[in-house]
Amino acid sequence: MLQSKANVDRLKRRLVHDLVQQNVELIQGRIHRPHAPRRLPYLRLLGALALLLASTALVGSTRLLSTLAAAPAPVRPPGATLATSAVRAGQDLRANPPPIAAVLVSQGAATIDPAVLPLAVRRIALDAGHGGDSHGTRTPLGLLEKDITLDVARRLRQLLEAQHDFEVVMTRSGDSAVSLAERAAIANRSGADVFVSVHVNWIENRASHGVETYYLGPTNDPFLNRLAALENRDSGYAMADMRQLLDGIYAGVRQDKSRELAEVVQRALFRSLGRVNPKIEDRGVKSAPFIVLLSTRMPAILAEVSCASNTDEARLLARPLYRQYIAEALAGGLRVYASTARGAAAGNGG
Amino acid sequence: MTESKPVLHVGIDLGTSRSSISASTGQRHVVESYVGWPLDMVARKVLKKPVLIGHEALENRSMLDLHRPLEEGLIKDGSEKDEAAVRELLWHLLSLVGVARETRNGMKVRAVVGVPAEALRVNKQNVRKAMQDAVDNLMIVSEPFAVAYGLEALLHSLIIDLGAGTTDFCVMNGRLPAEEDQRTLTQAGDWVDEQLSRLTRERFPEARFSIHMVRAWKEESSFVGNTRTPVVVTVPVNGKPTQIDITQEMRQACEGLLPPIVESMLDLLSRVQPEYQERVRNNIIVSGGTGLIRGLGPRLEQELAAVGGGKVKVVKDPVFVGSDGGLSIALDAPDADWEKLTS
Repeated sequence: MLQSKANVDRLKRRLVHDLVQQNVELIQGRIHRPHAPRRLPYLRLLGALALLLASTALVGSTRLLSTLAAAPAPVRPPGATLATSAVRAGQDLRANPPPIAAVLVSQGAATIDPAVLPLAVRRIALDAGHGGDSHGTRTPLGLLEKDITLDVARRLRQLLEAQHDFEVVMTRSGDSAVSLAERAAIANRSGADVFVSVHVNWIENRASHGVETYYLGPTNDPFLNRLAALENRDSGYAMADMRQLLDGIYAGVRQDKSRELAEVVQRALFRSLGRVNPKIEDRGVKSAPFIVLLSTRMPAILAEVSCASNTDEARLLARPLYRQYIAEALAGGLRVYASTARGAAAGNGG
Repeated sequence: MTESKPVLHVGIDLGTSRSSISASTGQRHVVESYVGWPLDMVARKVLKKPVLIGHEALENRSMLDLHRPLEEGLIKDGSEKDEAAVRELLWHLLSLVGVARETRNGMKVRAVVGVPAEALRVNKQNVRKAMQDAVDNLMIVSEPFAVAYGLEALLHSLIIDLGAGTTDFCVMNGRLPAEEDQRTLTQAGDWVDEQLSRLTRERFPEARFSIHMVRAWKEESSFVGNTRTPVVVTVPVNGKPTQIDITQEMRQACEGLLPPIVESMLDLLSRVQPEYQERVRNNIIVSGGTGLIRGLGPRLEQELAAVGGGKVKVVKDPVFVGSDGGLSIALDAPDADWEKLTS
């Protein structure tokens, strides 16, 4: 029944070896990343070409668009997506330039596969909810939401910057009042790749508790209007066409990416906090028209990291370690998301 | 020919309340995890030291800028003073086993430092940063793993490490604990202190006492279940030393720990592979200073009865069990592996 001395010694040797490896990884700052599914070479090529075409549309290379528009229309199989059409178009770009008009008019936003637009994540905008006169909610113990969110955001910033692989922009770094519009503007001006707003929930039913994450809902992003107008200025295409294209490529992807980000962050929050707060509820991922999400131009989420109206969670929120776990969970989710984006970029980039 | 320095191996348990060190020379020391700097020139003249550590710092706290640099087992973030306090604490521990600050006495120092089970990457990096000048080679390990290693409870066991800042759970199944094998609760010794302080203040609003006094009462008289000896402490009431009976408050504060601990214990046990559950249930080890609450082991065994019974062993020497485990790891690691871990 008891392990023999030899077995124990063997087990100890293996454990020490694994421990050393773990510490070597810590020294080297290596981050465990989930293995991305291996992509076939031809898919990489297709992805790269799709990326090229999509990028061209985004930056408004009117010269290429015009060239393409002048070319005869290829026959597109029924049900083919913009991505696959774009890929095929790209493959025969020199021999048979495809007509952008055909692509433009016939594609809907929902048909774009976000995987063809690998959005690398380098800069992260962190938004600590409330601040200044806007206290947000208050826990039964008297802790204010604005203080909790700032503490979590500061911890999260440290976690993200520790490996030097992310830049962090804070919409507020102290107890100051910042309007929602200004928060989005800060994120937008900084060129952040994702936006994460940290909030604490308050639910009428005091027994309710848990974590939930919101992402950008349906929107009419003014950025798209401006960009479309600018890029379409000399192209000869109707504004509506360009708008449709940009909506399809950008807004759809932004929403998809926001949902994807919300999902990984929600998973990380629930999983990580569940280890210190076994009763925590997974309240799920939801979309909602929060102004701060609507006004940002990058994948954006709003995380309700716990529930101040619930006595147990309020007590936990008062503890630094719990707030550190929240930050760690958010950082974990962001790293998974960034890692997936990098994987897609590498795959698409060949 | 290369000069070979003598090697000193140490295991360090960096705790919220107490920190301990075990050295390969056989020396073992424990200090209260307090660091204080004299508040002004007068204090400096009186104390005659630039920095005070442990009990000495606590005793002279009125003259000190006092820091308890580890909150809930983690190095506090964002405070240079707390980072400096951790460094002072580590240097102090090393000095207790004969390592001189500047020269290290010409020795090569190899340290294994235990941190809370789920200590976060940044905090592990902070520990590494704080120790980089103090030792030659450094390994960081989860505290309950160090305990399990020291007790050779590496297979089919559950370690419950009740510290001051956190209660760490770790199922040992013959490999390095993964996320799903570990859990951390913020209900631990400090939490009991807070509850005891609140309850006592509610019942005796005129009594004057500090959290340090409450901590001392708990360490002296904590219990769950029944006790034949009432818990009576002396506190100033309206300036007059007065004895008050806090037996009920002590019981209530200590028993408040039970529901989250029992819930986590049963939950972790339920996740063990079915064929090994009984073995793990019969090999539960409670370590850490807060694990010395009287009656805790039998009470946990009562709770295990609902799932088929089990055995709980409370470590008799909780102060050094973590640092001793760290020292065992330090001594077992081959030289070649240590060389990969230059601090």
